[in-house]
Amino acid sequence: MFNLAFKSLQEAIYMSGHGIYVWSVLIIVIFCLFYAFTHYKIRLRQLKKRLDESN
Amino acid sequence: MIKKFIHQFASPKTYLYQINRAYKYIFYSSLFIYTFSLIWGLLFTPEDFVQGNSFRIIYLHVPASFLSQSLYVAMAIASVTYLIWRVKLAAYLIIAIAPIGAMVTFIALSSGSIWGIPTWGTWWQWDARITSTLILFIMYLGLISLHTSFSNHEKADKLLSWLVIVGFVNIPIIKKSVDWWSTLHQSASITLTDRPSIDPSMLYPLIGSIIGFFGLIICLVIISSKVQIIKRESTKSWLKDYV
Repeated sequence: MFNLAFKSLQEAIYMSGHGIYVWSVLIIVIFCLFYAFTHYKIRLRQLKKRLDESN
Repeated sequence: MIKKFIHQFASPKTYLYQINRAYKYIFYSSLFIYTFSLIWGLLFTPEDFVQGNSFRIIYLHVPASFLSQSLYVAMAIASVTYLIWRVKLAAYLIIAIAPIGAMVTFIALSSGSIWGIPTWGTWWQWDARITSTLILFIMYLGLISLHTSFSNHEKADKLLSWLVIVGFVNIPIIKKSVDWWSTLHQSASITLTDRPSIDPSMLYPLIGSIIGFFGLIICLVIISSKVQIIKRESTKSWLKDYV
């Protein structure tokens, strides 16, 4: 079950021509998650700061 | 009695106290499960006989598709809770979930389109599943813009709740579209009633990626709902101790 499906790193990146599709989807998912977490963390920090200043 | 229980349990104060305690555990365990499952799925599962290596997109596309609909269901439940019991937290959750739902639906649509190029020979087809998912994405965007256009929060919450309930009709359409119409999109590989049509070596990392992604999205909803609570309850004296 845990046998590597590819013989080399190059083969894993290329994926018989399908690597471009697979890795581009992975980049989209990571970017969206990273952007969302960063955006909400920054927004939360700003609101907390404003709350501290008002009290 | 139910009303009293719901109001006590779902007060923003209790909610903040509970999520502050749970957040770190959910985040780190989900991140671990998601990363592990993705590495497993993308690098260790065998190549699909028909689709070749492009099938590996399943580990990114399916969790997003599943969550895009689940988040709307959560919004619908929150809407009903708000309209019946006037629970403020439910209204905050609706607007906290909407942008995350839009993002997840965007991931589902874009990953599906990219997957379509090597498997169907086209990145877009106006078939029932894809079109109804696009409608879901537009609905999320519409709900966000509608809420921001109102200055009266209470009016906006009420209208939004009704619209979410009306829009809920799209969810069974998305789910059943592959059965009701002849579509390019394949039918579900995992159902609650039948044995999965997917090999266990491919199924386990898929289940892991769904669980991991679900946990990460829960964490996003937690932070987003915290933002909404601070925005809307900023005048309350207790707030500072809970954020």
